[in-house]
Amino acid sequence: MTDLDTKLLDILTRVFRIERNEIKDDLKRKDFEPWDSMAHLMLISEVENEFEIFFEDEEVVDIWTVADLKKILKQKVSP
Amino acid sequence: MKEILESVRKDPSYLNLWSAYKKIQALNLPAPEDETNTIRLAVIGSTTLEPLAACFDVKTRLEGFHVETFVGGFNTYRQEVLDKTSDLYKIKPDVVVLSVDAWSILDKMFLANFVRMSIKERQAVQKELAESVLSVISNLESNTSSLILVNNFVVPVFTPFGIVDNKQKVGMKRFFEGANEILADKLEKSSRVFLVDLDNLASSFGKSRITNWNSWYRGSIPFSDDFTPILADEYIRYVLALKGRTKKCIVLDLDNTLWGGIIGEDGIEGIKLGNTAPGIEYVEFQRSLLSLYNRGIILAVCSKNNPDDALRVFREHPSQVLKEEHFAALRINWQNKAANIEELAKEINIGLDSMVFLDDNPIERAQVSQVHPEVLVVDMPKNPRLYREMIENLNVFDVLSLTSEDMARGEMYVGKRKRTELEQSATSIEDFLRTLELEVRINEVTDFDTPRVVQLIGKTNQFNLTTRRYTNAEVSEFRKSNDAIVYSMAVHDKFGDEGVVGVAIVKKKDHDWWIDSFLMSCRVIGRSVETAFLAKIVADARKAHATRIIGEYVPTKKNPPASDLYQRHGFGMPVTSDDNVTNWILNLDEHSIDVPEWIELTEE
Repeated sequence: MTDLDTKLLDILTRVFRIERNEIKDDLKRKDFEPWDSMAHLMLISEVENEFEIFFEDEEVVDIWTVADLKKILKQKVSP
Repeated sequence: MKEILESVRKDPSYLNLWSAYKKIQALNLPAPEDETNTIRLAVIGSTTLEPLAACFDVKTRLEGFHVETFVGGFNTYRQEVLDKTSDLYKIKPDVVVLSVDAWSILDKMFLANFVRMSIKERQAVQKELAESVLSVISNLESNTSSLILVNNFVVPVFTPFGIVDNKQKVGMKRFFEGANEILADKLEKSSRVFLVDLDNLASSFGKSRITNWNSWYRGSIPFSDDFTPILADEYIRYVLALKGRTKKCIVLDLDNTLWGGIIGEDGIEGIKLGNTAPGIEYVEFQRSLLSLYNRGIILAVCSKNNPDDALRVFREHPSQVLKEEHFAALRINWQNKAANIEELAKEINIGLDSMVFLDDNPIERAQVSQVHPEVLVVDMPKNPRLYREMIENLNVFDVLSLTSEDMARGEMYVGKRKRTELEQSATSIEDFLRTLELEVRINEVTDFDTPRVVQLIGKTNQFNLTTRRYTNAEVSEFRKSNDAIVYSMAVHDKFGDEGVVGVAIVKKKDHDWWIDSFLMSCRVIGRSVETAFLAKIVADARKAHATRIIGEYVPTKKNPPASDLYQRHGFGMPVTSDDNVTNWILNLDEHSIDVPEWIELTEE
């Protein structure tokens, strides 16, 4: 697991209040109750602070799964 | 629950606080049984306030309280406040935070048009802005009995006038400062509404960092990750003051704490203490301590030294700010500090949990905090130039109102020390009391004395028979009621005036007078004034043709000094109920209580 994955997992566990092994790439915003709009905002802002990046509004709306978040994050941090 | 709180105590970051809040909410805890330790919070305002409420909620729990929190909707505070059936009122909040962003009230074109507005227009808008918040406050005040915390407006950093902003009669900054001043003026006299100086807090933190603009534009979250917990800390100060969890006494080490160097080795000429460097940092630290003393914080000394060496500094060093007369008690010896602190607490007659210990030596600190975890042992900076900043940022001495008794407390302790000296020379306790020339004034509490009475109710722990913490509003209700009497007692002796130091609340039911509350400041314990107080209540009850007086007693960890009050005044037939209240009965046909002959009682 890369450093990026570890940091992201850490944020996800705290935002969603679940264990690491419960976090799967196909976890979906619309079927997972703790992932409400407030949690989404919190998640985005924590990821932005941690990786010193920022998301466009369209990107924020288009993140529907953990896999989506990982994909866009990797694009942003890779040089 | 414990687990959740422990993990956030270790790392109280924004995300952890929020995460803990969400976890606790998901537990769906039943309503707590212990009402006295429960606080109901409400956070309402013009923006998304859930994160702020989450931090406030969890930080209040970290202080050991059970918490229930209501978070208002986005910009729905007016409806919540005006609708008496709204959820805001359903939880019966003890504390309401009102956080209104000035820009949510001002016209959308306010910033754009400000320069073009006339002075008169600006002044009119400024007044409207303040009044808009004030009207919400006045509704809140009449619909609740809670403590109301109102954020003032953040004075913006940007002004279209640039560097000549303050060359305008009402520039941008003065516009907001003026609005804040109107709020402060209107709220100054209120005992329930407190204006939280958000602008000052934001300045101290750095105004450019109080908002994360991404979160603001995405979700109207007004405060950044780093600033939100700091604002919550500011609210906690009010909660602790409301609940009487205030520190009252600072215990000070001497060498390398009050002055630089070691008096036993460096001598009076060698220690660092003076009005220029080196040593000015200690003088300024002492001046800060003296400012706290002057508003009623008790000072004491706990130092490993030869007493003569140390006392010489107090008496002879020209730059020493704090003198012997500023200390309520001194322990300068070679005994271990934990034992000394215990003795100091006894001598001053305060609880260990109202003491703060300042010592440069980490080993002494560790020993004291290990033996007395209830003492606040401050992690002192290594650098003495930071001592002053440390004491000024400690924020543990807050009270909701400062009375004249507070201001004069220092002098009262000098009187106490002299009294102790007299007591030691007197041959019997009656002999001692007779020479004190005690005068006691007992009457129904007046408007003037009410703040002090509420303060005593809020913070008296030791000589307090029931420890019922009534708010200002509740005390006012008792005063208005025909079935209750609120008494206050003031004490004076030849060494000084103690002011109002006793409170009793009597409730009348048929021919019984119930003493619902009876409490006395620890300063006057041992002077038999409680006997005079009971005698007065008995006399009044007789006049009103009551047949019995029933004294209630609820034991706590701290009130053993009061446990035998009723027994030693002839009350009998104690009956303890399931909720741990013991009722003692005095039959007025059979018993009486007299004012001790050495006390002169005045009634008004």
